[in-house]
Amino acid sequence: MMDRVLEKVVTGFSWICATVLLGTVFSIVGYLLVNGLGTINVTIIFGETDPVDALLFRKQVFDGLFPAMVGTFALVALSVSFAVPIGIAAGIYMAEYCRGGLKRIFSLVFDVLAGIPSIVVGLFGFSVAIFLHNYFYSRIYPCLLISALSLAFLVLPYLIRTTQVSLENLPENIRQTAPALGATKLQNIFYVLIPRSLSGIASGVILSIGRCAEDTAVIMLTGAVTMVGVPKSVFSNYEALPFYIYYISSQYSDKQELLSGYGAAIILLVICGLLFMMAFFIKNRLTYHALYRQ
Amino acid sequence: MDNEIKIKIDGLSFFYNEHRILNNITAGFPENTITAIVGPSGKGKTTFLMTLNRLWESISQARIEGEVEIRFGDRFHKIYDSSYPLSQLRRLVGMVFQVPNPLPMSIYKNVAFPLKLTGVKDKNMISGKVETALKRAFLWEEVKDRLTDNAFSLSGGQQQRLCIARALILEPEILLLDEPTSSLDASAGAVIEELMLSLKDRCTLLIVSHYLDQVKRIADTSMELSDGKLHEYPNS
Repeated sequence: MMDRVLEKVVTGFSWICATVLLGTVFSIVGYLLVNGLGTINVTIIFGETDPVDALLFRKQVFDGLFPAMVGTFALVALSVSFAVPIGIAAGIYMAEYCRGGLKRIFSLVFDVLAGIPSIVVGLFGFSVAIFLHNYFYSRIYPCLLISALSLAFLVLPYLIRTTQVSLENLPENIRQTAPALGATKLQNIFYVLIPRSLSGIASGVILSIGRCAEDTAVIMLTGAVTMVGVPKSVFSNYEALPFYIYYISSQYSDKQELLSGYGAAIILLVICGLLFMMAFFIKNRLTYHALYRQ
Repeated sequence: MDNEIKIKIDGLSFFYNEHRILNNITAGFPENTITAIVGPSGKGKTTFLMTLNRLWESISQARIEGEVEIRFGDRFHKIYDSSYPLSQLRRLVGMVFQVPNPLPMSIYKNVAFPLKLTGVKDKNMISGKVETALKRAFLWEEVKDRLTDNAFSLSGGQQQRLCIARALILEPEILLLDEPTSSLDASAGAVIEELMLSLKDRCTLLIVSHYLDQVKRIADTSMELSDGKLHEYPNS
């Protein structure tokens, strides 16, 4: 009798939690859309400059969101391309090669890395930039490259952990199939184990993409500014959407500027959505080519 | 038996977490015969098979004592010698598992997989060998028109024959089969039994089986593994 009541209570509680979660997501997105959708037009993105000129990088945009969009996109692309190869390789090492005491030490180190607050990572990036400026090359300042490297540092533990866990969770009979046919350890990893773990690895990559696109604390200290236009090189300052949102919400002088912050938030969500879809698509194609193509 | 000895085992003991699973086994297996290994469950029959292709080495708390020698060509090789290449050993000693384990690829790619591992690139040679292997495994007629289909679309018995074809494509001299018919129904099992008999002329087969009537039907010799020791099992 008590069991039945308990089961109903737990089921009801689960439903309430799910509803609260969904409700929160819809409220946030709804609030953004209600306030910001009206502001999305060509002017808010390109300002006074002609869109075609801006897209071809012939003219700079200083009063629109376009440079921040380009900056965010470049930042995500750069940091993910640093973090993904290293993260996946380290995950493979942890799952397949590392054993015993060394594995415990590395696990601890990666867990500590995962727990470092993003502002501390930003401070670290800033200190590295100052150090390089003073001792190596005085033209180095906090810039796109330093931000990308700091962000890569931030998301590396997640990539390592998801890769390691997806590989370790493969059942023993799958692990033994290729070696029984004469595969070396490396062949087993590349031809059988990795293709099987692609779902898990892809979810780690998608998590990293989201993290890199939205993090503000790190980029604030390592090169994100306002009103510089599209970044000229990886060694220059740049604009970014999360930083713009932070800046506008603390410095706005009229209602229109605040509304442009909402518009920026919507655009950031759309960019994240597009990046996720791209990662998903790439993962499906990779799985297909790795496993099924004749 | 008049055939020459193919596998020589001397003083073989296997330890897992310091529990003695196999106890000082000495035995010889003649060439081109089917030897059945019977015995109570969980007492080391699969472990025993794995000592012949060194597949147990991925398990970290396991260790082994004793010698295993296999005759390839005209002389015996100590397969646990560090100079003997592991992947080479596993090409000459094939293994088929209890539950069929096709890779998530097409039928053709599954059978061709071991060739890909050895680096063979000649497409004509590969398709010739795939056809031969599937014919030896009694599967060619059933799949020849759908080689690009996903291997998982086959029935259980067909998947097991696919795994046998995959194990045969490198022309191994020894084939280890771990309860090959226990996950299949009687008619599928009968096809596998006929298949195993047909492979005798080119392979030496060691089969773990729980079905004593199967053992009576196809095995030349039977051995029972109990208390970590291997005894002759009367095949009457």
